[in-house]
Amino acid sequence: MIPIVSLAVFLPLLGAFVLLALPRGSAALSHGVGIATSAVTLLLTLVMWARGVVPGGFAQVEEITWIEAIGAAYRVGVDGFSLPLILLTALLFLLSFIYQAKSGDRARSFVILMLMLETASIGTFAALDALLFYVFFEVSLVSMYFMIAGWGEEGRQRAALMFFLYTLLGSLPLLLAILGMFLASDPWTFDMRVWIETQPLTGLAGMLALVAMLFTFAVKIPAFPVHTWLPAAHVQAPTVGSVILAGVMLKFGTYGLVRFSLQMLPDAFASAGTVVLAFGVVSALYGAFVALAQSDLKRLIAYTSVNHMGYVVIGVAIAAIATDPVMRAIALDGATLQMVSHGLVTGALFFLVGMVKARTHTREMERLGGLLKVMPVLGWSFILFAFASLGLPGLAHFPAEFQIFLATLNVSPWAVVSILAIVVTAGLYLRAIALVFLGEPGAQWLKLPDLDRREVVVLMPLIVLTILVGIAPSWVLNVIHTTTAALAF
Amino acid sequence: MSPLALVLLPTLLAALLIAVLRRPPEILALVGVSISVPASGMLLTMAFAGKGYTLMMPGLPGMPLLLVSDPLSAVLSVLVATVATLVMVHATGYMRKDGEKRRFFATMLMFVTAMQLLVLAGDWLTFLGAWELIGVSSYLLIGFWNRKPGVAGAATRAFLYTRSADLGLYLGVFVLIGAAGTSNIAATLTTFGTPALIGGLLLLLAAMGKSAQVPMQDWLQRAMAGPTPVSALLHSATLVAAGAILLIRVAPMLPAQTLVAVGIVGGVTTVVAGLVALAERDLKRLLAASTSAQYGLMLLAIGAGAPVVALLHLIAHAAIKSGLFLGAGVFQHSRGSTGFEDLAGAGREHPRIFAGFAISALALAGIPPLAGFFSKDAIIAATLAAPGGIWMAVLALAGTVLTGAYMARALALLWRGAPQKGESGDELQWMGLGMGVLVALAAGLGAAFPRMEWLLGDAPPVSVLAMFLGLGASLLGLALGWLVPGARLLGPLLPWARRGFAVGGGMDGMVLRPALAMAQACNAVERRIYDAVLAVGRHAMRLGRGTRATDEAGIDGFIFGLASATEAAGRRARRLQSGLIHRELALTIAATGIIAAALLVAPLIY
Repeated sequence: MIPIVSLAVFLPLLGAFVLLALPRGSAALSHGVGIATSAVTLLLTLVMWARGVVPGGFAQVEEITWIEAIGAAYRVGVDGFSLPLILLTALLFLLSFIYQAKSGDRARSFVILMLMLETASIGTFAALDALLFYVFFEVSLVSMYFMIAGWGEEGRQRAALMFFLYTLLGSLPLLLAILGMFLASDPWTFDMRVWIETQPLTGLAGMLALVAMLFTFAVKIPAFPVHTWLPAAHVQAPTVGSVILAGVMLKFGTYGLVRFSLQMLPDAFASAGTVVLAFGVVSALYGAFVALAQSDLKRLIAYTSVNHMGYVVIGVAIAAIATDPVMRAIALDGATLQMVSHGLVTGALFFLVGMVKARTHTREMERLGGLLKVMPVLGWSFILFAFASLGLPGLAHFPAEFQIFLATLNVSPWAVVSILAIVVTAGLYLRAIALVFLGEPGAQWLKLPDLDRREVVVLMPLIVLTILVGIAPSWVLNVIHTTTAALAF
Repeated sequence: MSPLALVLLPTLLAALLIAVLRRPPEILALVGVSISVPASGMLLTMAFAGKGYTLMMPGLPGMPLLLVSDPLSAVLSVLVATVATLVMVHATGYMRKDGEKRRFFATMLMFVTAMQLLVLAGDWLTFLGAWELIGVSSYLLIGFWNRKPGVAGAATRAFLYTRSADLGLYLGVFVLIGAAGTSNIAATLTTFGTPALIGGLLLLLAAMGKSAQVPMQDWLQRAMAGPTPVSALLHSATLVAAGAILLIRVAPMLPAQTLVAVGIVGGVTTVVAGLVALAERDLKRLLAASTSAQYGLMLLAIGAGAPVVALLHLIAHAAIKSGLFLGAGVFQHSRGSTGFEDLAGAGREHPRIFAGFAISALALAGIPPLAGFFSKDAIIAATLAAPGGIWMAVLALAGTVLTGAYMARALALLWRGAPQKGESGDELQWMGLGMGVLVALAAGLGAAFPRMEWLLGDAPPVSVLAMFLGLGASLLGLALGWLVPGARLLGPLLPWARRGFAVGGGMDGMVLRPALAMAQACNAVERRIYDAVLAVGRHAMRLGRGTRATDEAGIDGFIFGLASATEAAGRRARRLQSGLIHRELALTIAATGIIAAALLVAPLIY
């Protein structure tokens, strides 16, 4: 059996090494290596998708002994939580490479950094060993730090500092929690499957480990009030960095919330569930309201991420509280699908903002206007994704949010107050559309070109998938549901 | 292929083809909608034969998507298909010279498809989806001329206001699914007790938003920025109808308290919106206020426990109101405005259009044998028959008087005044054709009502008293409206009615401004958190720099000091090793002497 999962994880890294080994060539060569490597990686993840998942455990597991004495090993595999995210990751990286292909700004270093980041990202989702998970998790942070610091905009130093401060402080508690789980397991092991199976930490120790994990993941998600690094990072990050940050890396937090907090510490999570739920509710509402107050288009979209990821937190917390397995499965289905939808939709929105900025050299909404007439393809694409982001039925966010709110109302009715945010997001997106795209275009915009073929290629898969997930979510949900329906805790 | 798919696919495919092909869009649109007429007609025929259809598609786990054709949905489907086709015929003329008519017809088709999806929905997920798609289609259509100033704002407002009310639908649906354990609409209608009460009230909230009921009525009047065929469609068989259709569908489930609430909302709206219509200075805005008022009457019927009667009025109103709007579109076309000041005498330029408009107006007022007479009569009879429903009957009669008054007022304003040079042409033929059929329907539909009552299995109460009261109220209203200016009729209410009876600043004052204030407040908090974290960062950096300073001065200083001291010692030691034999020898002897002396002395000490 070919180790497809490991290949998918390490192929990008291999690509990076190949690029390093090649004599310093043109930018086109670097981009070519990036696109080719990530395209093959996407194909590999499609093979993984075809192989599928199994109920009640992990599929496609690949294992190599590493440090036997402490039970650390190289272990990767997938289930219904991780497989959709891996597919999403591979797709967004490929599209990012295509988007970036025109840029000549230190292309070689950029591609190498991106390929490293791709390995770290897929690895984070595929790892079944806690040490391995932690290593991938940290490596991804470093890559992103360099991307913001090296390719960002004017204020990038401060943003990179903020990002690093948060993430440096943020991930230490997780390490402590991992060590706690390790010491409590008997015999000692870092095997996440064993931790999920036996749930080694209980009682006070379990609660402390949960709090530590929650801190790390809350920074990553990001949840109120430790979210302030996100808008700062997004505003300064290059377009591709924003796409990967929002589309892929925010999911590390919510994925960890499910994989570690919920699956390994369900009892502690159930008793602390209401607190987590409250943070989710506040994040969702707060993110929406702050987004409404923004005048910078990219910052606005960054804050809607706080809102959307707040829904995911709500879904996971509801799953932790719920006693009815049907409602728990509905909540987790919704939360996981929401991660995928957010990756598709927000990824596309950041691409679109990048395309607007590349033409107009501004993201201030008040200065733009009437762009729909000048760039109909760009404008209608933005309108489509804006409606997707505000949860319109037939587009990707609706089935996810429907399930999250359905479970919320039936498990913790008070938390459904967060549904007010869907009106606020509707308001802020319609306002953005009206300001940027409607009305009569200013004279300075009249000559601007619409999307070129490369940009259409970047957007088209996201458009198709956003509609496909919206109209027929079952092709993703069946994979997710295989795992959520078989959860036993 | 399932006949259900045959209803939905033609309009959907036509919309996609218009987007892809560069063919004349009106032909594709007409073909698409007109195929859906016989398809939905087939559903109705089969419903008469006692046969229904179901189509299931995968949706969410445990919640499949369902399309169902039963008598109610078949009737509504035919209504939607028919009105849509006629409006599209009219639009062929109305939009003839518009450069962006491809977008117009594609969006109209999407709108119609979404409405068909709503009436055929058999599960709440599909229903909710269709409901929101109707909202977004109307956003796109109201905002069709989006480069004109003010248009984007009108479209945004319409979508936002209805979406705020949509929260009621979301929550109501969650309550019902949670209580029944299924998303099948028919199965959730067996809900009773508290979930039915709360769920019902939440659904009422949603219906109030969509059907523009008090206090959420003002968005509809502002939603006039789009082309007139859009108004004709969204005021008759689509957007606004969705609210009443929702309540008609769930009526069997609604407990008595909820029904009373529905009745109050409807009754208040029919009077308030009727007064607003009397005060309007714009034909389209008058018609819009009238839409709210007529939907108020339908809600009144539902509250009186007669949803079938509400449905009959919905059908009659759809034919009547679309005809009225199409007439208004012709007047607008010739005068370039819909303000009554500009329209004075416009009726004389197009006598045939005016005649059609007048027939529709009389039908709405409830003059026999036109369609509105039968449905309005049935509403009054139902309220009289409802236990403790005398207040409902009073409100229904008041609504009827007002209907007569504002329709007569509109006719008077259109007729009195000097005609300008009338134009006629190709466009007018198309517009007249669509309108003519609708007027014929408005006139003759009443004949079909007994068949529909039979099909839906619920004959409304017959009451001679209701007939006389209703007819009296209609005639009184018509006479008042024709003879007395609206401003005089309203008296002291006039300024208030001109403002649309907005309470607390309307939706703007109650929802929009607080939301924006909240956003600013959150943003202020956000900046504080950001600054606080940056301050922490700066302090950490200062701490770091401080540590570095200590390191440099302290530890580094010590270590470097040690190093230089050693070096100095080494330098001094090196001077001793001069390489001169005599000095080295002397040093050696001296050293040896010291060692020997030490060895000699040592035993003495110990």
